[in-house]
Amino acid sequence: MDPVLRLVNRNLTATIDKPFLIWQIMFPLIYIFVAGYAYTSIIESVNLGTVNIDYPAFLASGMIGFNVMNSSLIAGTIIWTDRRNGMFEQILVGPFTRAQYIVSNILTITMIGLLSAGIIFAASVPTVFANAPISFTTLPYMIVSIILGSIFFGSLAIVASIRLRSTERFQITINTMFLFFAFVSTTFYPSQGVPAALGGAFHVNPLTYVVDIIRFGLFASFDPFIVLEAIALAATSAIMFFIATFMLAKLNI
Amino acid sequence: MSCIAVDDLHKYYGSVKAIDGISLDVDYGKVFGFLGPNGAGKTTAIKIFTTLIPLTSGKVSILGYDLLKQPAMIKQRIGVVQQKPSFESNLTVENSLDLYGKLWNISNGERSKRVEDLLKMFGLGDIRNVKNEELSIGQRRRVQVAREFMHDMDLLFLDEPTVGLDPSARRTLLDYIRKRVRGGLTVFFTTHIMEEAEYLCDEIAIINKGKIVALDTPSGLKEKFGGVKIVEIKLKEPFNGIERIVNALGIAGNVELQDSMSIKISAKNAEQILISVVESLGKNNAQVASISVNPPTLEEIFLAMVDDSNGSSS
Repeated sequence: MDPVLRLVNRNLTATIDKPFLIWQIMFPLIYIFVAGYAYTSIIESVNLGTVNIDYPAFLASGMIGFNVMNSSLIAGTIIWTDRRNGMFEQILVGPFTRAQYIVSNILTITMIGLLSAGIIFAASVPTVFANAPISFTTLPYMIVSIILGSIFFGSLAIVASIRLRSTERFQITINTMFLFFAFVSTTFYPSQGVPAALGGAFHVNPLTYVVDIIRFGLFASFDPFIVLEAIALAATSAIMFFIATFMLAKLNI
Repeated sequence: MSCIAVDDLHKYYGSVKAIDGISLDVDYGKVFGFLGPNGAGKTTAIKIFTTLIPLTSGKVSILGYDLLKQPAMIKQRIGVVQQKPSFESNLTVENSLDLYGKLWNISNGERSKRVEDLLKMFGLGDIRNVKNEELSIGQRRRVQVAREFMHDMDLLFLDEPTVGLDPSARRTLLDYIRKRVRGGLTVFFTTHIMEEAEYLCDEIAIINKGKIVALDTPSGLKEKFGGVKIVEIKLKEPFNGIERIVNALGIAGNVELQDSMSIKISAKNAEQILISVVESLGKNNAQVASISVNPPTLEEIFLAMVDDSNGSSS
């Protein structure tokens, strides 16, 4: 088997805390089916430019992006766990190069991002998406968004894993990032109608780009702003990937 | 050709000199002991030899491969047990061994066989289903060492592998290493425990402050001390004048007054010194209970070499 695939297998088997990951997938499902339907009495439908969808479908599509972020941040902490448990050095004295280790981590993150998004999507199709105008022709945009989002958030977690030494600082940083990305975004609510400053903050958040493009992919809800968001997401993901890779390559032992 | 050939190796961390021009050769199928106090440069040397960190200058060849040009070839054929713990916290002992075998691309059938053999060999059968995070430090160390034998190798680096092991587990490990060496494995071994080095090593280098201060077989090191012997005299009753007598004799050697009832002298002319000391004690009515004259232990040689090199460099 190829060294990178052996490392991916090892990441999936050993490094990811499975009960936590399962909870990360269960949590959005509970949120969709409880909060989604509970808020329907307040938010009947949401306008996405060219289409209107009900709130449960809006929330479910947002939670796909949310889950990509969440699971990628967790998967991105592989390097943190490996350094803490001495496995980073152990792997590097084995039959692997640093480049193979880096690629395997990015692959693992992307796979987990796609898998978690797929689970939310699969659970939503027969339920909250049943009456939504799903557009199959634009679905590839959703997949691209998920991949780019996984790379961005996974790379961000890698950077945090490398920069931060103490467990406390690492946890605080990851939780703070999580709060900003999750709640200062269009995941749970549309940006229209919010105060201008907050709306501006929504649009410097890559999770907003991920979620908006996912919604475009799902519902073909075209808005010219989507193009800018796609460019911004591709650029920020590429930059963050480069920084993470560079830092991993230069990481002192 | 040597299994490990090192020529004038230097390693600096900024302006700090960690390795200061060491040269050594390790033959195939031998156990090479690398002894030194904390911070002497042992782990730095192992990190260089295992391609983890770059050298500053010098030439190193491992298994015939140039360290700088062919690191991937080297890594395919070496095993490494690091000084610091390394483990997969979420996995059970059995799954740890199995996954490590998968990382090394060992076939399914062979992997299962090796897992069972190593669980038995290292006494891990009772904890095979316990997760690594729940193990004691010693148990985790046993798993770490056992795991390295999941894959085939020509050269094994062991960086203080017995730290945290109980005497029984330590002996099991040393015997297993001996067995593997008889099968052709070469071992580069660091330890603080001199009995281990004496038991296992064919050749020993003593390193201090990044320099090799002695390099020989265990018996060769003892011989190099040129007849230095340890004289130990024990008295029947406490005698407070013991220090005065020793000082008056002006003994050329290392004198250790352990208490007012015993004295230990390391010197080349041990027999002559013994006679002088016993005569002086007799004149002062101090009754001798026992006398012993012994060759130095490896530990004593180690301490003397380190002391000497500290003295000469300060």
